[in-house]
Amino acid sequence: MELVAPLSGFLCGEATQFPELASEASALAPYLLGWRPINRVVLQVKAAVPTHDATFPPFFLLASSMATVTANDQHDAVPNGDSGSGGELQMEQFSYDDTIVRMFAAATILWGLVGTLAGLIVAVLLILPELTAGLPWLSFGRLRPLHTNAAIFAFAGNAIFAAIYYSTQRLCKTRMWSDTLSHLHFWGWQLVIVLAAVTLPLGITQGKEYAELEWPIDILIAVVWLFVFGGNFLMTLINRRERHMYVALWFYIATIVTVALLHVFNNLVLPAGWFKGYSVYAGVQDAFMQWWYGHNAVAFFLTTPFLGLMYYFLPKAAERPVFSYRLSIIHFWSLVFIYIWAGPHHLHYTALPEWASTLGMLFSVMLWMPSWGGMINGLLTLRGAWHKVAADPVLKFFVVGITFYGMATFEGPMLSIKAINALSHYTDWTIAHVHSGALGWNGFMTFGMLYWLLPRLFQTKMWSEKLVSWHFWTGTIAILLYIIPIYAAGLMQGLMWRDLDETGNLTYPELIETIQAIIPLWWLRVVGGLLYVAGVCMLSMNAVMTWLARPAEYEVPVYTAPRLTKHYDEQVPPSKDELADAPVLDVAKKLNIWARMDWHRRWERLPVRFTVITTIAVVVATLFELIPTFLIRSNVPTIATVQPYTPLELAGRHIYVSEGCYNCHSQMIRPIVAETIRYGEYSKAGEFIYDRPFQWGSRRIGPDLAREGGKQSSFWHWRHFENPTEVSEGSVMPAYAHLLADDLNFKAIQPHVMAAYHLGAPYSDAELEQVEKLARRQAEEIAAEIVQQGGPAAMHEKQAIALIAYLQRLGTDLFRTEEPEVAEPTIEVDVADALPEEEPLAQR
Amino acid sequence: MLKDLLTAIDFSDCAEFALALFVAAFLGIVYGALRLSKQAAERFASIPLSDQVKDPRHE
Repeated sequence: MELVAPLSGFLCGEATQFPELASEASALAPYLLGWRPINRVVLQVKAAVPTHDATFPPFFLLASSMATVTANDQHDAVPNGDSGSGGELQMEQFSYDDTIVRMFAAATILWGLVGTLAGLIVAVLLILPELTAGLPWLSFGRLRPLHTNAAIFAFAGNAIFAAIYYSTQRLCKTRMWSDTLSHLHFWGWQLVIVLAAVTLPLGITQGKEYAELEWPIDILIAVVWLFVFGGNFLMTLINRRERHMYVALWFYIATIVTVALLHVFNNLVLPAGWFKGYSVYAGVQDAFMQWWYGHNAVAFFLTTPFLGLMYYFLPKAAERPVFSYRLSIIHFWSLVFIYIWAGPHHLHYTALPEWASTLGMLFSVMLWMPSWGGMINGLLTLRGAWHKVAADPVLKFFVVGITFYGMATFEGPMLSIKAINALSHYTDWTIAHVHSGALGWNGFMTFGMLYWLLPRLFQTKMWSEKLVSWHFWTGTIAILLYIIPIYAAGLMQGLMWRDLDETGNLTYPELIETIQAIIPLWWLRVVGGLLYVAGVCMLSMNAVMTWLARPAEYEVPVYTAPRLTKHYDEQVPPSKDELADAPVLDVAKKLNIWARMDWHRRWERLPVRFTVITTIAVVVATLFELIPTFLIRSNVPTIATVQPYTPLELAGRHIYVSEGCYNCHSQMIRPIVAETIRYGEYSKAGEFIYDRPFQWGSRRIGPDLAREGGKQSSFWHWRHFENPTEVSEGSVMPAYAHLLADDLNFKAIQPHVMAAYHLGAPYSDAELEQVEKLARRQAEEIAAEIVQQGGPAAMHEKQAIALIAYLQRLGTDLFRTEEPEVAEPTIEVDVADALPEEEPLAQR
Repeated sequence: MLKDLLTAIDFSDCAEFALALFVAAFLGIVYGALRLSKQAAERFASIPLSDQVKDPRHE
């Protein structure tokens, strides 16, 4: 039975406060609840919100209202203690905060445009590096992190937040706990993005992929993510009106907890100033932490929240429940348990211990099944609704997005297999793999969600359905045009690098040959990228035009329902204990009760406990990999001849990191024949104990530099920075002329050396007190070398000298012969006398 | 003492123990998921379909 009681009134105040209406409802509810067959009142009110203000206005005009009263004879449906007298039920009114969703949706579109445009620019710069006109802020090494950060944290990040704010409120049947925290979250996150957009082109970076931002920004991220966003989310869960936490919420919980954990532990640094921090981990351990973070950033920032999105928006768009809820539970826990182990597969054949690498591979392969379980669950949700897919572009976006999820999660485990990884690693294959996931899965799921959301958020129909369809087809072709040539490029690179002729020598000894061979494919990528950006432009235009067609005032439905009771006794009659009268031990009876898994159902209703359990699952897995890596000394055998960098080399290393050289050059020679022939002796774990951050890289657009020291003359490097093509014809490296023109700030080297010292580099007191002098002396030695080799004079103050010092040091310690011990110099002695004359600094 | 303890522990078994731990947890979860009644699974799955509070709002 259903009764409809019209209400009307004028509301003032905050969105959650409707005093006049509340009094009407409270007057109505006891009366209705006193009528025994009726045990629930749902009051549905539509309030109107003027739309010309970007934020929520201070008042709401009530446009229309009605109370819907539903008869229900199922008394056991009422929570314990609340049935019976209607006066015991405390009715509450609430509305969903869609303003924050609108804000995040708008930011998603804006940053989507910026992120993809930045990607297009770096794709062009890769082929035409001279387009930067020598401006250091526009070099590939500095802009590539800007592109990745914009795509991941700005575009995908804002998309996640839009999805979470929209779906969480509706899944919990409550408004977000705090509007203030929601808005703080929005503006805090946009501030992080703007700070990233400013600092990365300026070369302020940690030099770790997807974790480039320096420590002050990292602290801001941690606060905004964990306390503002996480706190608001958790409190919303606690105050929800839906007893069961839908599986999408589980994925959101895992996202919030794990990303916080990854972010904090990977970014532990010792500050060496406001714009520089040194990782507390070094070499192998830093690499391990970084890829524990890097891989799980993909897992818990680009996968789990998007799966939550899928589990909410796909059923909404298809208007049917998810295919298998049981499968979604298995999907969730499998991912949480497995993903966290998989990071080491990024470090196959490196100096990482073999056992860690194998463990990473094993868990990566295991990931395939749950991932495909999720994909199948998504696609089968459309069972019986495929006719809708043909007509609805939103569903088309979702179907292609989920298909790309399936492709990427098949390819990922495949690439983690060592034999395949030996071929694919450092090549463009990885880039193609990443982009099939980012453009196909993250991009298309976001676009599908936005096209579903925009008409609902702006309360009008999409400006152009045709343009949505155009976006879909343009985007799909764009992805294929991007990934197919880049897969081919990666395969070509991998095969050319390892190809040996009949005499056992490299068929392509010059790396540039292999780069030149794939440049036509890079052009095709530019075309694909251009089409993808065009698709985002279509979305932007459609969104703006739809927004312009919004009503003068947004209608805000207001609902009335009681809060969940704190104490909940399940009304479902307990299933019969078949062992109750059986002649078995009490333990068996207890085990039988435990095996009913009622305890798990209870846990699924308790957000705090659920969060703790998820955290434990992630932490336990992490510790099992981390502890041995850090504690087994044999994992990183020390090498007696490996010594800390000199102050000038440390300054040069800082420049190397700032310029983003790791985006194109690796510093890790794998024990693979073709690599040792090309680059020299394979890298050892003990060689990196002073490398903070490690700079092994993940891609070779240029050659590996692990054994670069002494390969070329210092003047060669000087000319190479000035004009790479002059000494290396066909090079795609941009010129770094500013390093030849700008002076090095010798006084600023001290904090870097002190940070290294505090982190364990064994500098003597004399060295610590004479940092500037030592650096100047080594710079003069290198400058003199350059002059001897035919270079310009008086260049010892230039930044390039420091970078040359660093490059000339790389990989040389392993072959250094021990010098006879020299007496420890005292502080009073002049530094020139204190240092052994027979060991020039440049060779230390 | 802590140092001695850490030195004495053989961490090389961590990988195998971790794998066993995972398998046990995974099997537990699969078993738990399969124990979920069809009625409850259908109710849970239909939660996103409505923005309004529906009865019954609990299991």
